Amino acid sequence: MGQTVDIGKRIELVPMDPHFHDITIALYQQGPEESPLFLVHTYSQIEGAQERIQFAIEAMTHIGNMVMTANGMLQFPCGSGHQLACRRTFLESCKLAPSDSVEPRPLQILDKKSGLTITVDSLGEGIYQVKADGKGRRADRRISAIAGGLMKLGEMEEVDGTLDTVAFPCGDSHDALVGLLLVRAPNVRAIVREQEMAASRGVLAAPSQQN
Amino acid sequence: MGTEQQTVGPMTGKERVLAALKREPVDRTPTCNPTSVATVELMDLVDAPFPEANRQPELMARLAATGYTELGFDTIMPVFTIIQESSALGCKIQWEQKDNWPTVRMREPIWEDVDEIKIPSDFLTHQDTKCVLDAIKILKKEYGDDVAIIGKTMGPWSQAYHCFGVEPFLLLSLDDPGQTKLALDRLKEATIEFGVAQIEAGADALTLPDHATGDLVSGEYYERYLRDMHTEFVDRIPIPLILHICGRTVDRMEYIAQTGMAAFHYDSKNEPGESMEVVKERISLVGNINNPETLFSKGPEDVRGEVYKNLESGVQLVGPECAIPLQTAIENLKEIPKAVQDWHKEHARLN
Repeated sequence: MGQTVDIGKRIELVPMDPHFHDITIALYQQGPEESPLFLVHTYSQIEGAQERIQFAIEAMTHIGNMVMTANGMLQFPCGSGHQLACRRTFLESCKLAPSDSVEPRPLQILDKKSGLTITVDSLGEGIYQVKADGKGRRADRRISAIAGGLMKLGEMEEVDGTLDTVAFPCGDSHDALVGLLLVRAPNVRAIVREQEMAASRGVLAAPSQQN
Repeated sequence: MGTEQQTVGPMTGKERVLAALKREPVDRTPTCNPTSVATVELMDLVDAPFPEANRQPELMARLAATGYTELGFDTIMPVFTIIQESSALGCKIQWEQKDNWPTVRMREPIWEDVDEIKIPSDFLTHQDTKCVLDAIKILKKEYGDDVAIIGKTMGPWSQAYHCFGVEPFLLLSLDDPGQTKLALDRLKEATIEFGVAQIEAGADALTLPDHATGDLVSGEYYERYLRDMHTEFVDRIPIPLILHICGRTVDRMEYIAQTGMAAFHYDSKNEPGESMEVVKERISLVGNINNPETLFSKGPEDVRGEVYKNLESGVQLVGPECAIPLQTAIENLKEIPKAVQDWHKEHARLN
């Protein structure tokens, strides 16, 4: 009788796609936790919805360097989960309009808080070092904060007690993913606020709790 | 257990729900949604998004039906919001978008004085009340033999919040009990009128939310202002009534149990065991799967744990504690009926 089937565990949701008729797009996870596959899915059956899903999938392969399996699912080339990073890749992909260019982001940003240019060097084996084009305590603080942001957003690990070097536990490089996370790493608090706001939307409050 | 299961043959969802509301034997515990199980994904599935699905009967019925066709509940509840009557009474409504609930703009109250209370002559033909009546007719025709169609009529305390504003009405209740009772007495006619109209449209039971919630209103207040009025509703709305009050409400369950309501839809802030202890078979309990922490934020295993806890306590009907968040995952909602069925299979084996 039902049309919904078991398509895995839903791990992220865009309730209203601003670029295509406000459809809802979800990210589902299938398979074992250590090597999952990810499915981008909508229940919308309106014309063009599947093309929009295809666009989001392809965007994830470009901006997160994920790979598509034969059955249209996604995974990272290393086979590891990197679930938080995958969710971020999905959310950023859904923000893109079909007319936007979809390219991996550079490993360099301008840090608005300090005015410094921040660069991340890939040292191989999944290890990345954060650098700034300036010196002194302020630069050190920003480098440390941005490295910390990458750790939080990408579930990366600290390397040997350093404040500027982080690594993916899988031991593989993910340059595109780091480029994607780098944009958000300087201000993780903003992401947390964004997530909290998104989570509170759509929750019905009793009249006494409403403004 | 509160409801007998051993001696009854297979039942339809409708038979199961109606029996459980009367605390009669059932083949298994029914899964019941007295408020809303609408989600943004289900809206997409049947192309019936908010806010239109709150204002157009065909869309309202289509979205509501997914509670049965997709999720497997024994009930269908088309009245997702708590503002349909308020809109018909003249309140200003913020209809919002697909991903959010419509709300009454309570900072712009329509009445300041009890003497201003007036039920409009078009109360039942207004778009937002008529939508509910028409949706119930559609659902009755299509699913009425199989599942219980549950309607909703808001109680006078909730209506007073919407029409006077929360703070002014609470202050009135402190300053002038006589005028407060008069306000409730006048507003109760809207509750009765809309309830009876839904019975005529085909509803099998009605949820009656009356937000004397645990955070702002005491048990003593419930007794003083609402107990007798709720008893009157039982007489004047001739159908099983499911009272809904959010929050910690154990302090008023004794009074609620005295009203003769068929059931109380109770919040997860109340433990199933302690709640069953208070109501003592005088009223059925329905709920109390937690929304924000369990259904919204956790996984099916946690949902299952809460379902089992209710079943172990003998709660007569199991379902979410309140209208679920619109972003709730479908797999968590499907887990409720699945867990109920599994629990009964496990217990049948043990017996």
